[in-house]
Amino acid sequence: METKIGVFICNCGGSIKNINFDAAREKVAKIPSVTCVNLSSNLCLGEGKEKMLSYIKEENIERVVVAACSPELKEHIFRQVLEGAGLNGHFFSMANIREQCSWAHEGDVTVKAVELIKMAVNRIRLLQPVEKKELSVNKEVLVVGGGFPAISSALQFSRIGLRTTLLEKKPNLGGKLREIEGFYSLETSSMIGAVEEDENIEILTSTEVVGVEGKIGDFTVRIRKGAEEILRNFGAIVFATGYETEVSPQDFQLKLGINIISQERLAQMLQASSVERKPESVGFIYDVSDENSRLPTLATLNNALTLKERWGSEVYVFCKNVKVDSEGVEKLYREVREHGVMFLKFDEKPRISAEDGRVKIEAKDILLGEDVTLTCDLLVAEEKLVPAEETEALSTLLNIRTDSRGFYQDENVHLYPVSSERGGIFFIGGCRSDLDFQRALVDVSSVVMGVYKLLSPGKILVEAERVKVDRQKCRTCLTCIRVCPHSAIQLVRVDNEKEVAEISDLACDGCGICAAICPAKAINFEGYSDEQIVAQIEAIGAS
Amino acid sequence: METRDVLVIGAGIAGLASALGLANGGFSVYLIEKEAAVGGYAASFCCKATDVCSKCSVCVAPDKIKEAVIHPQITLLTNSTIKKLSGELGDFRVEIIQQPRYIDVERCIACGLCTEVCPTEPKAVYPPSAEATPFSYILDEGLCLRFKGEDCKLCRESCPTKAIEFELKSKKQELSVGAIIVATGFEVFDAREKGSLGYGRCPNVLTGLDLERIFNREGYLKLPTNGNEPKKIAFVQCVGSRDENHGYCSQICCKYAMRLAGLVKYKDADAEVTIFYIDLQTAGKGFAQFYEEYKESIRFVQGVPVEISQTSSGELEVRYEDISQGKVCREIFDLVTLSVGISPRHDSWNLAKILGINLADQGFFDIKDSLGPNETNVDGVFLAGTCQGPKDIPDSIAHGMSAASKAIQVLSEFASRRRGNQRGH
Amino acid sequence: MNKEIVAFCCEHSAYPAADLAGKQRLCYPQNLRIIRVPCAGRIDAIHILKAFEKGAAAVLVLGCEDGACHHITGNTRAKERVKYSEMLLKEVGIDNRPVGMFNLAPNEPHKFIRVLNEMNKRIKESREAK
Repeated sequence: METKIGVFICNCGGSIKNINFDAAREKVAKIPSVTCVNLSSNLCLGEGKEKMLSYIKEENIERVVVAACSPELKEHIFRQVLEGAGLNGHFFSMANIREQCSWAHEGDVTVKAVELIKMAVNRIRLLQPVEKKELSVNKEVLVVGGGFPAISSALQFSRIGLRTTLLEKKPNLGGKLREIEGFYSLETSSMIGAVEEDENIEILTSTEVVGVEGKIGDFTVRIRKGAEEILRNFGAIVFATGYETEVSPQDFQLKLGINIISQERLAQMLQASSVERKPESVGFIYDVSDENSRLPTLATLNNALTLKERWGSEVYVFCKNVKVDSEGVEKLYREVREHGVMFLKFDEKPRISAEDGRVKIEAKDILLGEDVTLTCDLLVAEEKLVPAEETEALSTLLNIRTDSRGFYQDENVHLYPVSSERGGIFFIGGCRSDLDFQRALVDVSSVVMGVYKLLSPGKILVEAERVKVDRQKCRTCLTCIRVCPHSAIQLVRVDNEKEVAEISDLACDGCGICAAICPAKAINFEGYSDEQIVAQIEAIGAS
Repeated sequence: METRDVLVIGAGIAGLASALGLANGGFSVYLIEKEAAVGGYAASFCCKATDVCSKCSVCVAPDKIKEAVIHPQITLLTNSTIKKLSGELGDFRVEIIQQPRYIDVERCIACGLCTEVCPTEPKAVYPPSAEATPFSYILDEGLCLRFKGEDCKLCRESCPTKAIEFELKSKKQELSVGAIIVATGFEVFDAREKGSLGYGRCPNVLTGLDLERIFNREGYLKLPTNGNEPKKIAFVQCVGSRDENHGYCSQICCKYAMRLAGLVKYKDADAEVTIFYIDLQTAGKGFAQFYEEYKESIRFVQGVPVEISQTSSGELEVRYEDISQGKVCREIFDLVTLSVGISPRHDSWNLAKILGINLADQGFFDIKDSLGPNETNVDGVFLAGTCQGPKDIPDSIAHGMSAASKAIQVLSEFASRRRGNQRGH
Repeated sequence: MNKEIVAFCCEHSAYPAADLAGKQRLCYPQNLRIIRVPCAGRIDAIHILKAFEKGAAAVLVLGCEDGACHHITGNTRAKERVKYSEMLLKEVGIDNRPVGMFNLAPNEPHKFIRVLNEMNKRIKESREAK
């Protein structure tokens, strides 16, 4: 049965001068399936929309093409008019005869405008209805990790009424909390106490994630504790698995010993009630092999200050650049210098050697412009932040890309701050980037926001089967499953024999990569099917 | 008392992130913006991709703007500011003043007929910048003849949708909201304050912001004086940051300078770019992979210039101390870009007074304590974005989402406390 | 068709960039026909070949900047498909019609214009070579 298509052409208040609207109307009326053509000057305004609505009803129009400005900002307005008239909002297409036609060319553009309308009509003739459906989601959240970001996020999830499971590989919670609690007035034991007492939080320690299947709102996670493996279901997963520190990285060739120590060791020494011999001079070195030294800068400044206050030693800091691009760090840097800590900046790697039980550092100081030799009792070695050991394995398991330095979450700007290419899976804290304390706090509350908006209503509105696999045609080649960037396609068993691909409406983001790559052409993307795209091509130059 | 309504003050990238977070979470948002268009500074920056994306994140702004402007849960009020606040968390009463725009945003279809008939030169009625949203024409009171006493009605008569109305006064509106998010953004440091660097005196001394706008407008780097593409370019870092009056790092300048330098070199491999710096800030996600390249293609000089002047032939002479050589040098450039930093807004003190919140020592709005990056001393009033301190675009978005999250958490607790109290009776 | 350029434009980048070009009144030749797609990765060789079969003078696929694809890998897929299409075109003897994949951001109208100018130049060159 021939469908009835109504075309509404807007001349934008009469301002469009380079289209002959009468001639256009005549030509458009001749296009097959077009049962009426209406010319307006203000389609997007109240009175224009009302006229459109009554026209649709009077002429029994089934599908609508609007030829006017760009669909970018007005598409949703017109879809609402269609729905108001009882039509499926999907039966709509816009021909951009303003921004991409009238405004973009000199001279008369009537021919192009008519072709653009033809392209839209050709496409819309082939559209199938798309219904909206509400799918319920599991509101429980899994937080993987046991450090500050993991604990904080669990507490905040609880505040908004989401039940959380806190899953930690080690036997205890805490992570690096005890290292940093002094600097930020945190109390590790009271934070851990808070999660233990919270009714909404379940704690699993000595437990690991070994498998994740499913999609947002419905993840099946395989968890292993000792020899036991169980399956649990969650709506969203937040990874806060932290980072590791490589003290004295390979390229610097420093061997740790009595006089060359790590920041952690220094912090322990400073916290001890007494120390054998207070070093008269202490050197810090960083920013040599790894210039991503936000956290090493912070550790150096904080420890140097404590050092001055506790031991009164001479303190020298060797670095290339002081990384001050975090809240409060410039102020801290100035305070540290006021306390007498000396900063020596170099361009080439300093030479470090042992001499009489002390450490000798030779460097060309840029600010003085000459070679400097300093001998310290103690040298705090450079530290490099590296991804936690299991990162590579976990990212393969999750089918999620890591960034250029091996940390989680691709650097694609659309994923910032805490999302990944898989909807419902998030990464926060040191496992994804070198974050100072304030940024880590912000990570935590942003992910709570992200999960809240997904899970709190308990259901998500989706376009049902917008992108669909034809089970008869599917050859189970697994290509679509491998290429889907959002891991939205799974294998399902049909008839006890065959397994075919199935696209999850919850996880599908409508890119169409699967539809393009399927060798059997078994995937139909409604609105952008092969036929619907080719129909637009066929309308070009047809006159 | 409607505790599912939230007010967001400012529609820059952080305000948009807050508003979208709340709206997608089922809350109703009043998003007020002082200017006629949303998007703040982020909307005016340029894409800095070479043959790969340089992760500057400017392109996330158009998406967020589009989503917010059509979102059914967000009520957008442009040309609006907050005048009064009373009440408390869960029940704030705010008075909003909307300046008359004379051209109705809902009815303007950007046809341009008004500009055609406007008799003044320059035109008093003109289109907004191309990326402005809402894309609605603007009537400038300062240029319009009506506001000088004449009875000109040409634009109104030409308007096909009757969008122009002259007899408009500022409109007052009272809103009732449960929480407030302040996302009023920053001011760019006025480089004229550092007179010796030549901004305002020498036409080819520009700021980083000027460069972004030139790229957007022209598509390439066009010198203000002769329209040529510069061959020798200098960037001066820390202009308005890390000095006597600004005890902080603006966090964005080193990266934007290097990315702009990378863009310049991509378009013209023969161009020579020099960056004068104090400490190069290269940390953070999405930068490490470019830094190695930048080290190859850009010349870095540690030491910040003290004086920039114009020679008789129109070139720029930069006088600086080369610290590694320990002497004063002079060098000639075609273009000098001052990497200006983020400053707190001059009118922050006014908003602080209205809301009852505090300013911190550098002039940005203060957070209550170091464990809450968004909370102010007033319960229910949160900070989002650069109004709290310098941040780049990704950090501003995160901070905005974080503010929305805190607002939701606090309102959830408030609602359950209220329910508990009601049940108790 | 015989002089038209068919441009498959991704709705996140190229389509808004084309709109911006119009808003800034940056003019370009009328022979461009834009087909809007959700991602450049939706485009398959069949679409490109069909366009040439119907007489297109050139075919463009426009997506987000490398590394900034909204769907992470869509623009990379599209690049591969365009290369594959070039190979197919050569095999069937239609190797003098320009086809190209370009990347841009939604706020790069000038780049959009440059790409069009480049394509029109290539069309002219390939026609003169005959």
